[in-house]
Amino acid sequence: MRRSPVLSSWVNSQKVVPWLFLSPVIVFALVFFVLPVGFAAYVSLTTWDSLTPPRWVGLKNYQYLFATDPLFLKTLRQTLTFAAGTLAIGVPLALLIAMAFSRVPYKGAWRVAYTLPMVTNIVAVGFIFWFVFRQTDGLLNRVLGLFGLPGPGWLTDPSLAMLSSILVYVWMELGRNMLLFAAGLGSIEEGYAEAARLDGASEWQVFRHVTLPLLRPTLLFVVITGFISGMSYFTLMLVLFPGTQGGPSRAALTTGQYMYQMAFEDLRMGRASAVAYVLFALVLAASLVQLRLLRRGGVEA
Amino acid sequence: MPEDSVPLAAPAIAAVAEAAAPRREGRGRLLWTVLKYALLTLGALAMLLPFLDMVLGALRTPAERLARPPVYWPRDPQWGNFVRIYDQLPLLRWTANSLGVTLAITTLQCLTSAMAGYALAKFRFPGSLSIFRFAVGAQMFPFFIFLIPWFFILRYFPLAGGNDWTGTGGTGFLGSYAALVLPFAVSWYGIFLMRQFFLGVPDELLDAARIDGAGEFFIFFRIALPLVGSGLATLAIFVFLYHWNEVLWTLTVTRTAPDLQTLPVGIYLLRGPFEQEGTKSLQQAAVVVSILPVIIVFLLLQRYYVASVTSGSVKG
Repeated sequence: MRRSPVLSSWVNSQKVVPWLFLSPVIVFALVFFVLPVGFAAYVSLTTWDSLTPPRWVGLKNYQYLFATDPLFLKTLRQTLTFAAGTLAIGVPLALLIAMAFSRVPYKGAWRVAYTLPMVTNIVAVGFIFWFVFRQTDGLLNRVLGLFGLPGPGWLTDPSLAMLSSILVYVWMELGRNMLLFAAGLGSIEEGYAEAARLDGASEWQVFRHVTLPLLRPTLLFVVITGFISGMSYFTLMLVLFPGTQGGPSRAALTTGQYMYQMAFEDLRMGRASAVAYVLFALVLAASLVQLRLLRRGGVEA
Repeated sequence: MPEDSVPLAAPAIAAVAEAAAPRREGRGRLLWTVLKYALLTLGALAMLLPFLDMVLGALRTPAERLARPPVYWPRDPQWGNFVRIYDQLPLLRWTANSLGVTLAITTLQCLTSAMAGYALAKFRFPGSLSIFRFAVGAQMFPFFIFLIPWFFILRYFPLAGGNDWTGTGGTGFLGSYAALVLPFAVSWYGIFLMRQFFLGVPDELLDAARIDGAGEFFIFFRIALPLVGSGLATLAIFVFLYHWNEVLWTLTVTRTAPDLQTLPVGIYLLRGPFEQEGTKSLQQAAVVVSILPVIIVFLLLQRYYVASVTSGSVKG
């Protein structure tokens, strides 16, 4: 390839090269990051049905959400329940399994079993559990029946819809959290635990006073990233409760799905953008807490 | 519990403990061994049985589904269902869409991440720290904030899809593959990850090539990039699996463009034909078929995937 020497030396000068390498990312950042974030903020201050021009309404959308909207606060509560519930059930379970997993042979085989759900697409996961949760002939109620337990309507009973969603999400994320804990456990030196055992500490004491404190950075990472993704999640509920708005009596309607329906079904872009920003504020607050805590824990996110 | 003290073994106590230890330890260890295998097995069953349930469902005959009580283990497995759905559904089209879109995104993200990560790791220039901080900060922006604005930016993109320069008149990028690929051309996490990998490439090597008169693009593609090959593979497999399974964005922009639908989105939208209980075996067969390709990719490249999951967490 022949190029003019002037152009070639300009392209290869140490001042220009890094900007050439960065140019695709900079263009992308302007078009698909800075512009959308600003655009969404602007739209949240307007009334816009996407067909006629937006009309400026100031903070009225936000005011409506907190003062008038019959559902918004309910969805926020349910979103928090979902995020907290998935952690309360999923994290101890993943930790237990990781502890067992790090001390057995044939890790590869176990790992495949536990990570299969996390590479399965969410639509398939939704369908799989739509069948597993069927009241009369679903797998779960068949298994419960073996033990003589009554099989409830996991997806049709409003008081169970959220729990069912949480259980499926735990099932999906167990592999990821287990791998993270296993990596964390692997980086802890056995010497500390051995020393404690020699001192006569019971296995529980070793876990509580040696392993757990040393695992703190991993634990924080898992808890806080899990919380953030749990707060933003709703694709599962779209698939698990087809044709409903977030399950029976909207019992599993989270803020994300509420925003999605406002935008793409009701065409209320302004109000939906306001919902997005409120949820974003919550998620951002959680992210900042994460950064603060992780820094102290000596971990790079 | 910031400073929980780690009790260190004083030799005398250690000797006493050791004398008392063996019997207790022996029994405790056996119990723990039984417990850990029981736990792992129960967990693995919970992970795998739902998949088996789906496969069994796909094999039932309509009569077995409608029987009262319904038959669980298919007596006459309908393996033909896995072939029949290819006649009934545009599964090949969906698979091709999934593959094309996912490969395009993976290639773009790997390229942009590697280029940007390289610039941030191997060049000193004013603004480099700000750009790095921007990439880290941008990761904190959740996906849902972009759903609405992306949709309209693509819709009113100037000079695309029949639009004039003011962005009106046509449909923009909506209705084309670009709508599925462009918003994911760059990954902030990918930039962060590749920068980490490039930091490990020695400057001396690059400088030696410069002294030999090599151009900067030659140095990047032929010297620096091959040295971070395994890092790139880690990113690639992660991006591939993530976007193969992406549903929400694809659903949003292809609801009215069936030709562009991907495997999961196509199956999600196809509820109508399978309303009848007797036809649900075919629906379940379609789901099984949609999972198989990723499972194969995953089994082949498991090692890289595990690395990509854990690389974001604990340092070292």
